[in-house]
Amino acid sequence: MILEPLLPKVLSVRHIPAAHPALLRSYGADPERHVSLGLVTCDQDDPTYVALDEATKHAQVDVVFAKSFYAGAAHASGPLSGEILGVIAGADPDEVGEGLAALLRCLAHDACFYAANDAGTIAVFPHVITSLGHYLSKVAGLAPGSSMAYLVAPPIEFTVALDAALKAAAVEPAQIDPPPSATNFASAFLSGAQPDCEAAAMAFAAAVVDVARRPIRPTAY
Amino acid sequence: MSALSRTRELVAALRHELGAQDPLPPAPPLPKVEPPPVRVFPTRRTESRYAQAASAHTTALLGIGHVGTRYATDVVLQFQAELAVAHEAVGTELPDDWAARNGLLPLRTRVADHREFLLRPDLGRRLDDASLARLRSDARRGVDVQPILADGLSAVACMGSGLALLEAYTRELEARGLTVGTPMCAKFARVWLEDEIGEAVGAKVAAILLGERPGLGTGDGLSAYLVFGPRVGKTDGDRNMMSNIHARGTPPEQAGRRLAVLTRAMLDQGTSGVALDLANLAAELGEAAGTAYRAPQKRVRLVEVER
Repeated sequence: MILEPLLPKVLSVRHIPAAHPALLRSYGADPERHVSLGLVTCDQDDPTYVALDEATKHAQVDVVFAKSFYAGAAHASGPLSGEILGVIAGADPDEVGEGLAALLRCLAHDACFYAANDAGTIAVFPHVITSLGHYLSKVAGLAPGSSMAYLVAPPIEFTVALDAALKAAAVEPAQIDPPPSATNFASAFLSGAQPDCEAAAMAFAAAVVDVARRPIRPTAY
Repeated sequence: MSALSRTRELVAALRHELGAQDPLPPAPPLPKVEPPPVRVFPTRRTESRYAQAASAHTTALLGIGHVGTRYATDVVLQFQAELAVAHEAVGTELPDDWAARNGLLPLRTRVADHREFLLRPDLGRRLDDASLARLRSDARRGVDVQPILADGLSAVACMGSGLALLEAYTRELEARGLTVGTPMCAKFARVWLEDEIGEAVGAKVAAILLGERPGLGTGDGLSAYLVFGPRVGKTDGDRNMMSNIHARGTPPEQAGRRLAVLTRAMLDQGTSGVALDLANLAAELGEAAGTAYRAPQKRVRLVEVER
């Protein structure tokens, strides 16, 4: 079934109420401002980035660490590693707990990859963030609260689809990461008004589906 | 589709557009939202017992406590109510016929209206020509003391306890064998008006009793400013003053006695203000003030709360 949600699987969630300062420092937190850490691993990295950003909108937390693992979830170092480790930090353990709850809500109900072919072997992430939190806004260099289309697909699909997305609406590329990423995908952040971001994201998804259906075109070659 | 995700709605619509009709698997169940607690308990109010004990002895804002980093709601409402009282006192105008109705010689300064009175203190310090002429023709001249009742910045205070203070002061002065000038009342008056009036009637001491600038909770306070040898050009350094003359501060009766003691000292020493030696007056002022026990005054509560 095309464009069926491929739901992300949360592999681990842990909360360290009062982390050791050395650990805080090595994961990018500031022991002066942060006390508590929230950790999550998941088999889909991009929905997790979106969910981490969502956490910053619901609680007084900072995303201090978020890195994708090489070659993706299918080649993970262990059953709990998945594709990404995300870490949020805050001064108040309750805030971190609230942040983790928002993050898990987002992974369960909002951010996910979609199947671009019937077999479900091609994944596309045409996600629209209506209002950026202070994590992704910093990554993308946009103002918190603005809208953004977060687009991810495998290399060839991404290239064709990004072109379609940029032409579909009045959007500006905030960041384009050509392939390969750590997980061998490619991604782009497009900024614009929310309706433009939505139009661009849907054009992107439609183009990925189109490439998946007809990978070799024109056939004359 | 789940209303939680705009993207999922959009993709479902796109999927339909692309011709896929088969139903999607059901969305994961929404998280249960806990019902709100039956009663929401407010943040506990924090109060210092020491400050509360101290607050029983003063009308000052002690022991008001705090809720987190803020004032408690009733304290904020009390602030606002008291500020409204102060605004109203400043905004009140003394009726033109009030002085005449109460048997006082009516005077008026060069101020045209209430707004000008607030904006031009200089005009409130001089009498207009008609008042000056009336003063010269009707007022008793060459007296020891010329008391002047005036509205100042609170006509409410003037109309409230002004007459009581004027009577108490006059009575105390006469009891000390001093001659007192014609009772008079000036509208739109500032403190320094007493210089011109005192000079015009040739009084040895001029005393203006006027509504003071209202503070929180005191829209009805009177002040008295006394000057020896009044003439235009005297400064504040030449004056002695007493403030907070109202029921919860110094009551008019008591204030009248203290002012009379002060006036007597001015006449004896032939000076006033900074030069006046108050060192030997302590006992007398204390006696005049009444050294008997006075019950602690409570701040008037404009906002009532149930505890």
